[in-house]
Amino acid sequence: MTLNLAILFVSAVLVAGVYATMSYGLALIFGVMKVINLSHAGAIMLGAYVAYVLIVGLKMNPFIAAVVVVPPLFFLLGILLERVFVRPVRKAPPIASLLLLFGVWLMMQNIAYIIWTGEVRTITTPYTMMRFNLGAVPINVNRLAVFLVGVFTLLALHQFMTRTYLGKAIRATAQDSAAAKLAGINTDQIDMVAFGLGTALAGMAGALTALIYAFDPNFGGSYMLKSFCIVVLGGVESFLGVALGSLILALAETLSVLWIRAGLQDFVSFVILVLALLVMPGGLPELFQRRFAVRQR
Amino acid sequence: MLEVENINVFYGEAQALSDVSFQVGEGEIVTLVGSNGAGKTTVLNTISGLLTPKSGSIHLNGVRLDRLPAHRIVELGVVQIPEGRRLWPNMTVLENLELGAYIRQARAARKESLRWVFQLFPRLEERKYQLAGTLSGGEQQMLAIARGLLARPKLLMLDEPSLGLAPFLVREVFETIQEINRQGVTILLVEQNVHLALGIARRGYVLETGRIVLSGSGRELLENPHVQKAYLGL
Ligand SMILES: Nc1ncnc2c1ncn2[C@@H]1O[C@H](COP(=O)(O)OP(=O)(O)OP(=O)(O)O)[C@@H](O)[C@H]1O
Ligand SMILES: [Mg+2]
Repeated sequence: MTLNLAILFVSAVLVAGVYATMSYGLALIFGVMKVINLSHAGAIMLGAYVAYVLIVGLKMNPFIAAVVVVPPLFFLLGILLERVFVRPVRKAPPIASLLLLFGVWLMMQNIAYIIWTGEVRTITTPYTMMRFNLGAVPINVNRLAVFLVGVFTLLALHQFMTRTYLGKAIRATAQDSAAAKLAGINTDQIDMVAFGLGTALAGMAGALTALIYAFDPNFGGSYMLKSFCIVVLGGVESFLGVALGSLILALAETLSVLWIRAGLQDFVSFVILVLALLVMPGGLPELFQRRFAVRQR
Repeated sequence: MLEVENINVFYGEAQALSDVSFQVGEGEIVTLVGSNGAGKTTVLNTISGLLTPKSGSIHLNGVRLDRLPAHRIVELGVVQIPEGRRLWPNMTVLENLELGAYIRQARAARKESLRWVFQLFPRLEERKYQLAGTLSGGEQQMLAIARGLLARPKLLMLDEPSLGLAPFLVREVFETIQEINRQGVTILLVEQNVHLALGIARRGYVLETGRIVLSGSGRELLENPHVQKAYLGL
């Protein structure tokens, strides 16, 4: 039993890395632009297919495809989406961008159906079946690599956001965009970069996930739900929050297989999302602050 | 230096400014006073490019500002310190200052500017690594001013810098504004603290419900019966 728990725990941690990558993309766009990017799911799904083309079609190394090729492509896609679909409706009520981006997701799905049909695809790599034992816990090399890539991406982003002028300008725009404008920051440009980065993270997360799970054009929707859940848990502004949120969700999902059917895992993220919204609308950071405030008094 | 000519500004259907005109000369301290809702912030936000006038024009040394995006106006040397400080609360004092020097020409002079503002506000240097959101009200106002100075303004516009400060701090802030002016920065000061503002300003304008109703030297306005009755409680 303890061994089983250890195995579940390790698999939860490994999956949390990629969860964090995709949630951070969603959080970044919301934080900076206050736009809920429903095309996030589409970018995750397209990331999986582009990885498929590169790895299965062009025989590229899976991690070069997911880490080196996919992110820049999706950064450009994000910029294009921002310019064409988001910027024209920035001054309109939020529902406009929400619906437009929902439309973009549907378009992406249909394009995927046309190009790749609805057939379920998998990417098998030399690492897919490789595993080693950590004590008595078997660890899949592929999943470990995906986890490490996710963690390194977040660390690199953290450095970017705290050390560079552009990163700081992105944070400033998220915290107070009018003040950012008054400091001479071109917030239109920042919006574009944020949407590009967010989409690049979604694409990369999709490509990484495709190295582990099978996918079809509907792939992405449940991951977007998970991302929402993590962002609500972790707040939009803190790396630590996103990382913790990812871990909590991954643990809850993984442990839930002890009680419910694996097919119902999405239900877990939905329940957590609803509970979190009801009980702590400000997410974990607010919860910590509240407890801290109480203790201070 | 700054020429505002007959600007009309609307929020949706509601007109907030009607034919507002005024000038600020190089090296002056000019104040714009008025009570709550008169339109003072609207004037500054229009100059800064956060709002666009429906008609009229704004020029800085002959360059037309209205319809330029906000960041271009900062690059031209017109910097606003907004009402309520508007710091980035989850960033340190130093990060707030560094981002104040975001525009290219300011970035080059950053080291020197930092020395300058730490000299003006030694308290900020002591608190360099503290999060801006955790500063006291007075310290926040100092940081807001310092952040504006990091952009190396030619024209510095302050929106109610005395708001919410204890009287001795208000005097300190006003002294600093005069000191900044002596160092060559032109000042446009928006205030509800009419007595103090007219006291340090070379010239002033009185704004009421979106219109300029009076103008003159600081002294003239202080002695004006309407100003005394409506704003000074005399
Ligand atoms: N975003 C907005 N939308 C609609 N009306 C606004 C908006 N901002 C200001 N107003 C209105 O425009 C008028 C002028 O407001 P403004 O903020 O410029 O006044 P103010 O002189 O700065 O006042 P205060 O001293 O209280 O800051 C007010 O009637 C206000 O209600
Ligand atoms: Mg105001």
